[in-house]
Amino acid sequence: MPGKVGLSVCPNLLGHLAKDVKCIIVTGTNGKTTTSRMIEQTLIDAGVTYFCNKSGANMMNGITTEFAMNSTLSGKPKCEYALIECDEAAFKTVSKYVDADCVLATNVFRDQLDRYGEITHTLDNIRIGIQNSKNAVVCLNADCSLTASLREEIPNEIVLYGVNLPIYKEHIKESSDAPYCIHCKHEYEYEYITFGHLGKYRCPNCGYERPEPDIAVTDVIVSDANHSEIEITMGGEKRKATINLPGGYNIYNGVAAVTVAKVMGFPAETAVGALATFECGFGRMEKFMLGGAETRMILIKNPAGCNQVLNFLSNIDEKSMFVVCLNDNYADGRDISWIWDVDFESLQRIEENLTGVLVSGIRADEMAMRFKYAGIPEEKIRVIKDYEKLIDEFTAQDAPVYIMPTYTAMMDLRAIVSKKFGYKNFWE
Amino acid sequence: MENYTINICHLYPDLLNLYGDNGNIICMKSRLEKRGISCNVTGLSVGDKLEADKFDLFFIGGGQDFEQDVLLKDADLNKKDEIKRAMEAGKVFLCICGGYQILGKYYKTWDGKELEFMGLIDFYTEGHNERMIGNYMFECDALGGDYIVGFENHSGKTFLGDGINPIGKVVTGGGNNGIDGMEGLHYKNVFGAYCHGPMLPKNPKFCDLLLQTALDVKYGEGTVTLAPIDDTLENNAHNYMVNRLSK
Ligand SMILES: [Zn+2]
Repeated sequence: MPGKVGLSVCPNLLGHLAKDVKCIIVTGTNGKTTTSRMIEQTLIDAGVTYFCNKSGANMMNGITTEFAMNSTLSGKPKCEYALIECDEAAFKTVSKYVDADCVLATNVFRDQLDRYGEITHTLDNIRIGIQNSKNAVVCLNADCSLTASLREEIPNEIVLYGVNLPIYKEHIKESSDAPYCIHCKHEYEYEYITFGHLGKYRCPNCGYERPEPDIAVTDVIVSDANHSEIEITMGGEKRKATINLPGGYNIYNGVAAVTVAKVMGFPAETAVGALATFECGFGRMEKFMLGGAETRMILIKNPAGCNQVLNFLSNIDEKSMFVVCLNDNYADGRDISWIWDVDFESLQRIEENLTGVLVSGIRADEMAMRFKYAGIPEEKIRVIKDYEKLIDEFTAQDAPVYIMPTYTAMMDLRAIVSKKFGYKNFWE
Repeated sequence: MENYTINICHLYPDLLNLYGDNGNIICMKSRLEKRGISCNVTGLSVGDKLEADKFDLFFIGGGQDFEQDVLLKDADLNKKDEIKRAMEAGKVFLCICGGYQILGKYYKTWDGKELEFMGLIDFYTEGHNERMIGNYMFECDALGGDYIVGFENHSGKTFLGDGINPIGKVVTGGGNNGIDGMEGLHYKNVFGAYCHGPMLPKNPKFCDLLLQTALDVKYGEGTVTLAPIDDTLENNAHNYMVNRLSK
């Protein structure tokens, strides 16, 4: 890996390479990739030169590699902008070298506890990263009580974004990752919840509450299986926006991307327009045809993200097949306990439409058992550990297929799909 | 047929729910209902008074440090005496990770501070900067040495007092402290373990042991016997981990 070589030769290589580039750093537990793709579309539409890290290369090495590949041999940047998606733990380190112009923190949820530790530890990592980013304007999600609390301890200019109304009429049962006040540990009261612990919170004991966002979603006009239409209010001006991915979490990603674009000085029309045309990221509702089967790939990695996927899937109104591939390698999170925090029970609602639930991956047996306890009839649950056979199985039927792999399972699946169906650049 | 019911008390479900502990509740309820036995689950959290007589089985899960002092204050005020009474009366408890630690006397942090716990059973825990983390396996004494598989993730090292028995012996992994080869705690019908998250689904024999014990305590030994059920998927998940950890 060029990244590793570069780092060992010159530990400050990243700092040197990043010096003359306008840097946007996107961090937070969920939504980093999709938000980055939305921001990227703004950069494309604005006609500026840029580079970004893709394919989940969001740790220190991957980021250094990306900078190195986009610089001349003497270390001069080839592009005006760098858009860096950054793992929360890596942000702490990357920010020592990269002097960002804009930092976006999307949210903090429980995620792969074996890697990141407890949720407050993730918050601490982001705080240190922001403290290192002395010159950055910081964009924070006002609706996340954890993320929004960061504003109290940093001198940076801050721009807040949020959603001013509950997105869903009904949402699935999920436990909150932050029920108690970050300051005094009293239970929050909510005027409304959008999902998870996001919403309009207030601590009745110490008064800590959701700040009023500078840029807000003020209406959700349509939210269906393919897209959302929303109204974004910024600086007193209202704009309609279409987001070409379904799901409430993508509404957050959309308003986050618009906020970053505003901070970086791009016109609001460009930023809002980008939401309707951007290409969704690697395994984020990505759609392709395999044989006769219309297939969507949705990466799963933690309970909050997976619950949002189920919020979407349990509203699908046509026959479909689900595939879950659960691995427990380091990059997936070695601890798979989180699948028991996901409301797979919500699939009972659409059980008649389920043509089958296929499970695969290293921990397929545990996943099969999870579906059994979620009330999916055992005859619909099938364990197929061999990926070749798995792919043959779901491409041989004609209902749409939703594949939910963890990270390394997705990489393995993509390799086989590329070979089998001749998809080129399936890695980009 | 007579109607049998097990009432489960889930203590602090909103605070001690860090690692998918809910899987244990889902599992117990489902395995009772498959045998035609009713099951009610009641969550009790901060501010709720515990009346132990209403329940047959208690579950306490693992949690984050952040929430521990909210909880300890409440436990002292609203629950501790009743928990003690229920334990001594032989009621069944399953306590995981943080929920296991708080039954002990104290937690000593790595920089020497002592955090007082409920002190219901003679053992204590010391914080260390190195975590014991990963899939692990132990022989469970109450199952005649059969294996229990799971995932541990703790920096606390637990040391049992004299005469307090462990739940079993570690085969692979750290267990209580990574030193004495013991895992968890077994006192009367109280079971403590570091096996966090969905411990019971992939250890169905252990789940049934808890349920059968709770039925025996409530209705008298030999009154209700759990009928065998199809555990193909459960055994597959169990055996996969046993094989993997035996290598
Ligand atoms: Zn408060």
